[in-house]
Amino acid sequence: MSEYVIEMNHIRKEFPGIVANDDITLQLKKGEIHALLGENGAGKSTLMSVLFGLYQPEAGEIRKDGQVVKIDNPNDATALGIGMVHQHFKLIDVFTVLDNIILGAETTGALGFLKKKEAREKVIALSEKYGLKVDVDAKVEDITVGMQQRVEILKMLYRDNDILIFDEPTAVLTPQEIDELMEIMRGFAKEGKSILFITHKLNEIMAVSDRVTVLRKGKYVGTVNTKDTNKQELSNMMVGRPVQLEIHKKPATPGETILKVEGLTVPSKIHKNNAVNNVSFEVHAGEILCIAGIDGNGQTELVYGLTGLEKASAGKITLLGQDISNASIRKRALAGMSHIPEDRHKHGLVLSYTLEQNMVLQKYKEPRFQNHGFIKFDEVRKYSEKLIKDFDVRSGQGPITVARSMSGGNQQKAIIARELDRDEPLLVAVQPTRGLDVGAIEHIHAQIVNERDQGHGVLLVSLELEEVMGLSDRILVIYEGEIVGEVDPKKTTPEELGLYMSGAKRQENIGKEVE
Amino acid sequence: MPRLEPGTGKTKWYRSDGAVAVYSALISILIGMAVGAIIVIVVGLLKSNISPAGIWEGIRLVFLGVFSTGRSGSELSFGFNGVNLGNMLFRATPLIMTGLSVAVAFKTGLFNIGAAGQFLMGTMGTLSVGLWLGWAGVPTFVAWICAFLAGVILGGLWGAIPGLFKAFLNINEVITCIMTNWIAANLVTWWFDAHEIFKNSAEGGKVGYIIPLKNVGVVTPKMFMDVLFKGSQANGGFWIAVVIAIAMWIMMTKTTFGYELRACGANRHAAKYAGINDKKNIILSMAIAGCLAAAGASLYYLSGNTEFYWSTYQKLPAEGFNGIPVALLAANHPIGVIFSGIFMSMLNISGIQLKYLTAYNEYISDIIIAVIVYLSAFSMLFKTVLSKKIRKGTGGNVNAEPSPIEVKAAEEAETEKVKVPGDFEEEVTKDFKELLEETPDIVKTESEEGGQK
Repeated sequence: MSEYVIEMNHIRKEFPGIVANDDITLQLKKGEIHALLGENGAGKSTLMSVLFGLYQPEAGEIRKDGQVVKIDNPNDATALGIGMVHQHFKLIDVFTVLDNIILGAETTGALGFLKKKEAREKVIALSEKYGLKVDVDAKVEDITVGMQQRVEILKMLYRDNDILIFDEPTAVLTPQEIDELMEIMRGFAKEGKSILFITHKLNEIMAVSDRVTVLRKGKYVGTVNTKDTNKQELSNMMVGRPVQLEIHKKPATPGETILKVEGLTVPSKIHKNNAVNNVSFEVHAGEILCIAGIDGNGQTELVYGLTGLEKASAGKITLLGQDISNASIRKRALAGMSHIPEDRHKHGLVLSYTLEQNMVLQKYKEPRFQNHGFIKFDEVRKYSEKLIKDFDVRSGQGPITVARSMSGGNQQKAIIARELDRDEPLLVAVQPTRGLDVGAIEHIHAQIVNERDQGHGVLLVSLELEEVMGLSDRILVIYEGEIVGEVDPKKTTPEELGLYMSGAKRQENIGKEVE
Repeated sequence: MPRLEPGTGKTKWYRSDGAVAVYSALISILIGMAVGAIIVIVVGLLKSNISPAGIWEGIRLVFLGVFSTGRSGSELSFGFNGVNLGNMLFRATPLIMTGLSVAVAFKTGLFNIGAAGQFLMGTMGTLSVGLWLGWAGVPTFVAWICAFLAGVILGGLWGAIPGLFKAFLNINEVITCIMTNWIAANLVTWWFDAHEIFKNSAEGGKVGYIIPLKNVGVVTPKMFMDVLFKGSQANGGFWIAVVIAIAMWIMMTKTTFGYELRACGANRHAAKYAGINDKKNIILSMAIAGCLAAAGASLYYLSGNTEFYWSTYQKLPAEGFNGIPVALLAANHPIGVIFSGIFMSMLNISGIQLKYLTAYNEYISDIIIAVIVYLSAFSMLFKTVLSKKIRKGTGGNVNAEPSPIEVKAAEEAETEKVKVPGDFEEEVTKDFKELLEETPDIVKTESEEGGQK
């Protein structure tokens, strides 16, 4: 018996024009949690796709328990006990949780009828054994992202897989859900299951993994024992240069009020209650005010109400002394608000447009870019080239790159470039670094601090506790649509924040009326 | 926008996206014609009254029907046939307009299957106003303009209805378009049924037709078409359609208005985020689509050689639906629509030639059109395969050495692909994804990005 349950030796995978995996070796021990670390585009997903049978490598071999195996398709992988939770879940929205779990592995009776009862019992037994709380009869479209992920995990367990691949599983989870997932993963490892954990989040690696393999630009950098390394070393290996993990900023010097929100109430689209209930706060010039909270506590709706994407049912919003409570989205933007949206694909970009067309998404009507309704293409080109240069947005063909073909990090950089260059007094930034790698996060954080230092007000909405603590000058905690606490990041602890975020602690008369 | 940056990406014109779109359309056409030829052969072999020579004649007419000059002796003769070519352009006019209607809506993310209804409303508006003003003795030039505008405006209003439903109630425009088509068919029948004055009872033997506009002299000027194509039905309406197509192309690609419309079509949420009034733009897109389809009807009935059979409540005009293949074949490019519209009407002419000159009937050409329609849905597939081939053939025409950025981008692009083993299936899946992106609202709008569905 080999020491390793899975070995991928000297894997090479090419795509037209590029080598996505160049001589990569990955060895997974039984019962270990093995992290695969790398920036976006380092080749992690490709390597896992090779293991899962989605791609065939040009060179290299895969061994299972020491034996060379050939994995031609995902069915082969499943037969070898390899299961994968994809970053983007592969669930059918209108099916129930149970139907999704058994899909493709249905047990049927003599006449081909589904034996749902047995399946149901097995799923419930599994979910109890591993503490994977799911509602088996709920439709997938009605359950939270965290629960959808548990469904994906149950899918693997239902198929008796013992090699589990998690592709960026925490990107969509709240801090609490991440903790739960870590706990579940540790449980699996104890059971003797082997886990491959793809991520670029260093905290999670340090918290849960036994060993780490680092990839960079398609190449193998090395494998280290987690206990022998630290975050700084790992990030240097990943990025290839020393990375600034701490956010360095001068103390804030808050100036006059830029944004004043009084009693903002936004109805929910999901339930009858208000998603945002009677929220009041102020953002001052030269400060980063952060709205912290667990996902789904009204942050999204708060921003929608603020920016005009959704109608608020009550409340007054004053931007630079101008009442914009009922103004259109464009009027609000022109009044001095720029907005880095939460969902860069839904709101941030028109993906089928080119980069330059996206760069002028709000500005195309300015006289600078149009003449009697005709677009001045040369000006658009010049402007986008400047932004691309200033903000280091990388893409295959520069301004004429179709936004869809850009990497997530560069898409985000493009949005940030566009919004920051508008140079508005108020920046609303919603999860500006979600799904990005260390290098890009470092860059974006610096930009946001720079924005503050220029005397602009920043309203930051973030789910990342680390970002909240490191970046903000003042923190408001939102819980069930209400502001439940205001804390100073220099004086608080993550634990205290967690208490506010979970609703366990609450300050009186906060966020109701600003005196 | 295929404007290339100087210095990088030196794509030759024949490798550009546009060229590839043309190639893929041509492939569809060739396969369609080839299938037509095969059908001619099979039918010829099955029918006793068609000789091998007759089969050969049939095949030649399928491909060259528009250049047929009838028979000299017992042989088919070919050459310049002004009547055929002129009639081809005449019949292409309404097809170009409905094709434009569908293409413009497509570009803005809407599927206008309501061109037939809009066409009928245009017919009603143009005929009624044209006849009224003609009888009232209004100068024919003024009457022409009013009749044309009446049709266009009525069609635009009719097209706006599905737009309103879409914008305010989020009801899929396909459903409302189908319903408004039949409402239009019945409305038009009722209108003419209720107004005896429009019915053509003066000319003996004619039952159920509306008085043609030429009887009151409201007719589109020939604009040299009678010189170019002597004896044909061609008239200035074709030039008007071409001008409108060019105007549409300019509007869609060069103006802020087109930028807004396309942004709404490509990503309604992002457009809204950017402060674009998405509801307004959806209604406007459908209204413009309605105007275009109705303009096709107006030009058709203002031509002076057409008559309208008013009892249309059981039948929708074919021009409305043929606009869809015309648009598809042109990859929704307004200029391309001119050519695909002409091509469709050429097949039509070929069919008529087949009917008159051989023992075949004209339905062969309908089959060819059907095959091409079917294949035009595949033209996206051809496009993907072709652009891949072209890329491979040049060995990476952008940079010899892939930079890490490209590695990133390429990997992103790769992961975006639906991962199905087997090249062909992968292509197909991706192809359909692209199709869906072209027509987002039929199935799904967003959240496909980076998504492995």
